[in-house]
Amino acid sequence: MPIADARSADYWAATTNHVLALPKCADCGQLAFPPDVVCPRCRSISPQFAFEAVTGNGTIRSWIVVHDSFLPGFAADLPFVLVDVELDEQQDLRMIGRLLDGPNVALHVGDRVAVAFEDLADTVSIPAFELQLSDPAKAP
Amino acid sequence: MTNRFEARSKVALVGYAQSPLRRHADMPLGAIAVETAIRAVADAGLEVEQIDGFTTGALFPSAGGHQVEDGVSIVTSHWLAERLGINPRFSSGFQGWGQLSGSVMLAVNAIASGSADYVIVHRALHNPVGRYHGSSMTEAHGFAQWTAPQGYFGPLATIALPYNEYLQRYGASRETMAAVLVEARKNGSRLPWSHWYERPLSAEEYLAAPQLVEPICRYDCDLPVDGVAAFVLARADRAADLPHHPVYVAGFAQASPVVPRLPGHWPLDDIMDGGRTTAARLWEHSGLSRADVDLPQLYDGFSPFIYFWLEALGFCPLGEAHRFVADGGIDADNGGLPVLSGGGALGNGRMHGVPQMLECYLQLSGRAGDRQRSASVGLACHSSPHLGGAVLYTAEPL
Repeated sequence: MPIADARSADYWAATTNHVLALPKCADCGQLAFPPDVVCPRCRSISPQFAFEAVTGNGTIRSWIVVHDSFLPGFAADLPFVLVDVELDEQQDLRMIGRLLDGPNVALHVGDRVAVAFEDLADTVSIPAFELQLSDPAKAP
Repeated sequence: MTNRFEARSKVALVGYAQSPLRRHADMPLGAIAVETAIRAVADAGLEVEQIDGFTTGALFPSAGGHQVEDGVSIVTSHWLAERLGINPRFSSGFQGWGQLSGSVMLAVNAIASGSADYVIVHRALHNPVGRYHGSSMTEAHGFAQWTAPQGYFGPLATIALPYNEYLQRYGASRETMAAVLVEARKNGSRLPWSHWYERPLSAEEYLAAPQLVEPICRYDCDLPVDGVAAFVLARADRAADLPHHPVYVAGFAQASPVVPRLPGHWPLDDIMDGGRTTAARLWEHSGLSRADVDLPQLYDGFSPFIYFWLEALGFCPLGEAHRFVADGGIDADNGGLPVLSGGGALGNGRMHGVPQMLECYLQLSGRAGDRQRSASVGLACHSSPHLGGAVLYTAEPL
């Protein structure tokens, strides 16, 4: 269960509405995830990140299948797939999330995914991904 | 301005001690550390009172939130010095990744600058009761909130992600990694102090193990142990009067800062780009090159690091390490590169770079006994190529 704080409140507020909103630096206009103290793109020490909705579409760069979780609360979900996704919005903008298609689908680097949400509680939703199998824009 | 190390060959390893590596020792970690340090000092032909410097990296590398208590689950430089009854001129801890290479770097610089004459570099690692990386976290605060809620947590996931990226990008298979484990455990089975003494592993056993975080199985991970190693370093001109053949420090490198990422997210390109920078810095610092190294002891806390270091250091072209390994390239008994001749972490236990450094010391000082090889330049690295570091050692001064 994520615990929102001053830096992440807008992120989790958006996910509650099933919207993926990522931090954008007020100085350079680039997205930076997770939000760092200093903007990793322009090195602004006062990036004043504003969370801006993104498409949530992206490309799989790698994945793993978790058979043994080191955290409590995942036993009923095992095994599950986690994907390392490069989002379309910006080069090397990466997220890691559950792949809701499950462990029995064949995956490839370059497969296209779209953001989806898992509802943990009434007001808590976790970003995840789903395969977009017929996306003509499939990237290499 | 040159980046060449001005103190090249001016500092040497002059003695060592290695405790037995056990799943759970029958003595507290701090007591083992004191005993091991005393043995190392005696091995070097010195008196404890002559030691005036201490360095270590005391990290307890567990994701499980176990209690950190000096002398029990970690042993810092100050703790060890006080229990030896020494008020050292120089005592420091290395904070970054590559704790052992970083500690050696601190020690060498302290001696070269005259801040200390005889320095103990030690590493003490503890295996707590209960699951090593098992966490009871149910609320993800701070940095963890970006990945833990979706179940991405712990070092196995951290290494499994770039390992699968490697397998997919280069068409490698999990089966090839069996050769890494067979080599590590074969060599570890010859070391009386190793947890795996007289216990080699077959490729069949490796491949039969269930995967924990696919494509990582239990044998891809080093086994947590209780254990301590201590090395004594001294100025090379003083080392000549001591009982053992000194092993000289030719240079070292620590990795560059890396771009901020999600917690535990090590994309393959970060590892390899950073690793090449680490390697270039090492060659520049020492004035040596890859071709000079005949004892490259590669870090293997997780088995994929063998591929990553082979390629980062230039022993294989990018993407070729898996083929090199499959073709017998690291079979040290049969003409392959001796990258795991000291057993590594996979063949000893989780000692965070100690097996690599110890093998360099034993072989280059001529103290490897039945296992003695012909070697003149050793390389001991620790951690991931983009985060950790490496030290070059030579049998003779350069």
